[in-house]
Amino acid sequence: MATVPHSLNDKSVTRSFKEKTGKMLGVNPQDAKFTKTYMFVAFAALLLGGILGLLQGLNRAGFMELSPQHYYQVLTAHGLLLVVVFSGFFCIGYFYAAMSHTLGGLLPKVRKMAWTGFALKIAGFVLAVIPILMNQASVMYTFYPPMAASPVYYIGLALIVVGIWLCCFGAFIQVANWRKQNPGKHVPILSFFATGVFVLLFFGSVPVAIEVLVLVLPWSLGWVDTINVMLSRTLFWAFGHTYVNIWYMTAVSAWYVVIPKLIGGRRWNDTLTRVVVIALVIMNITGGFHHQIIDPGIEEPIKFMHVFMSLAIGFPSLMTAYAMFAVFERTSRRQGGKGLLGWYKKMPWGDVRFLAPMIAMIGFIPAGAGGIAQSTNQLDQVVHNSLWITGHFHLTLGISVALTFFGISYWLIPHVSKRVLTRKMNRFGVVQTILWTVGMIFMSGAMHTVGLFGSPRRTAFTTYFDNATALSWNPYMTLIGLGAILLVIAAVMQVYAAFNLMFFAPKGEEEFPIAEAEVGDVTGYWTERWGLWVALLIIVVAMAYVIPLTDMIVNAPPGSPPFKTW
Amino acid sequence: MTQVFYGLLLYIFLAMPPVVHFLESIMVLHMHMQMPMLVASGFFMAPFFQKRFPQFFSKWNGDGVPGIVLFSIIMVYWTIPRTMDEALTIPAVELFKFISIPFLAGVPLRDSWMKLSKWGRHVVLIGFTLLFIVMGLLYVLTPVQLCNSYLVIDQFTLGWGFLTTSIGMIVYLIYAFVVDPSKYEGIPPEDMSSSDE
Repeated sequence: MATVPHSLNDKSVTRSFKEKTGKMLGVNPQDAKFTKTYMFVAFAALLLGGILGLLQGLNRAGFMELSPQHYYQVLTAHGLLLVVVFSGFFCIGYFYAAMSHTLGGLLPKVRKMAWTGFALKIAGFVLAVIPILMNQASVMYTFYPPMAASPVYYIGLALIVVGIWLCCFGAFIQVANWRKQNPGKHVPILSFFATGVFVLLFFGSVPVAIEVLVLVLPWSLGWVDTINVMLSRTLFWAFGHTYVNIWYMTAVSAWYVVIPKLIGGRRWNDTLTRVVVIALVIMNITGGFHHQIIDPGIEEPIKFMHVFMSLAIGFPSLMTAYAMFAVFERTSRRQGGKGLLGWYKKMPWGDVRFLAPMIAMIGFIPAGAGGIAQSTNQLDQVVHNSLWITGHFHLTLGISVALTFFGISYWLIPHVSKRVLTRKMNRFGVVQTILWTVGMIFMSGAMHTVGLFGSPRRTAFTTYFDNATALSWNPYMTLIGLGAILLVIAAVMQVYAAFNLMFFAPKGEEEFPIAEAEVGDVTGYWTERWGLWVALLIIVVAMAYVIPLTDMIVNAPPGSPPFKTW
Repeated sequence: MTQVFYGLLLYIFLAMPPVVHFLESIMVLHMHMQMPMLVASGFFMAPFFQKRFPQFFSKWNGDGVPGIVLFSIIMVYWTIPRTMDEALTIPAVELFKFISIPFLAGVPLRDSWMKLSKWGRHVVLIGFTLLFIVMGLLYVLTPVQLCNSYLVIDQFTLGWGFLTTSIGMIVYLIYAFVVDPSKYEGIPPEDMSSSDE
């Protein structure tokens, strides 16, 4: 301690005092307001997006007529609301709450940045929604050129990205400030996850910003005649894939940190948890290529290399699977669980805060396996443009991510609202979780199966002139419709629960559950060298993208004029 | 010694004919994938030699400078376009590549890196960043083929590979210069007495 300047020492003492008082008094009201607002927007989006999903489910089941142009309009809004708004707002609201809780409250500067980010995102979102409602942007949330939407849609998307960047930089300032005040200490694990997520969010959104500002916007405004389609798609997926993994990492953070506390245990090895975060951050962006396995214009060796890169991301996921079961078994055995598998009875199945993320984790086993299958060139050829893929991301996002987010909402929303999760609401949550799970099993299961039989994705209901094969898909389509009905009921229940816990539940203190590390678990300080991880991330991205991007730019075809296909 | 085994395994993998053929079929993979992985294999195998010949390393590479000079010479040699051509056409040069990069670059890098001062490491990194920028510009701007075995487009791609990698290195250097770890880590940075920080 002799080397630490006196003033610094004083500061850190005041700081840790502040942290302790913060923990005693509960959540900082200003930070709570921020998270509550984000949660409000997220769950409002879930409600709207869910209802739009129901329309599509009913249409695919043949229960309801939707003209093709409205089908795509609904699909675009469904994607944007659930993929961008629900997940994006939830992640940021959750991690800002985590930083406020573990780092002793947000700095006023950071709070201001995050609110500005919020305003930009809402403004961007409104701008993006207007052309969708006017049926001028039915390009789906992937907005693949040469389908061109109104320029206003892209300006909206660009504003959303800038809003996200402000939230990222707010988080970096918050974490850097804490580290300066607490020299030599490890960033608390949940804030470590937050750092990783915001690093990825920033670097992942750079390619899509380039795509929108440099390629798509001038083209949709008519300043240039044509667009390089392959380049745009590649830049989109560098972002799209990373964005998916950001939600996944958000869910994983709760699995590693929150669930052990809920089952009365301690965390898994701290160093390896941080290694999982670092590995996901460094290797993630390049995984975008596996969304383009059947795209033309990318050479086979490059696709092969990227299958390898994608499977590399599977490695930290397998570590996570191992870690979770290790924690479950260790904790349950300490509580008296016996037998080879008998220990599972010791887990708190009746607690929605545990049940929802637990089902999410179990769902990730088939979801991850399906993902590995799809990353394989030959297998992807069979399923890529079929409903199998739609089934896959409803399993990964709809079960693994959404159910974890729901589980989090049952303690986070009352925590920031100074209310409590009552036994009644817990029971309600358990029913809601089961309903959602059954709905998703119906829908995702049917989508996977009928996708294998060849039913295409991204189309409205049709019998293809009563073609026999297409007619054989119909029973599965009915199941999709039934699943969608169950899901929308569960979504409405979830939204009711979220708003009830925010405004009407009994007043009180709800715990922010964070599990402690095992006794004697020492973490290497090298895990905190974020500068090095970022440099490695850039170098990995450079190595992965340089060959295909150079090829796409130098050997580019004349490009495509804008098309309006709807 | 597990890492020695993995280093050897990586070396054998890289020397397998289909792997050699694949990595050498694309210029940027040849220079930015095969060669760094050969360095890595030597880096992992280094403890074997360090334990076997401790006298040799302490006598000839006491402060890490001879080792890092040897590493730099070998690496600079392999950035010359002609050497890549020769590796593809003359088997003896290919053999030299598989010996020189792991054992004359990877092994001395491992032995030298920790012996160098913080500033010594930064000088090496700055040197290689500059080299990467210059090589990148050379490959991007040259309108003619520099290698007989690779097309201009391959060369152009490699140039951008150099430039983008150098961006990563610059980010790291800025981080190393701007961020003072002692402010965050509560311990004085190494060689604090010898630096101006």
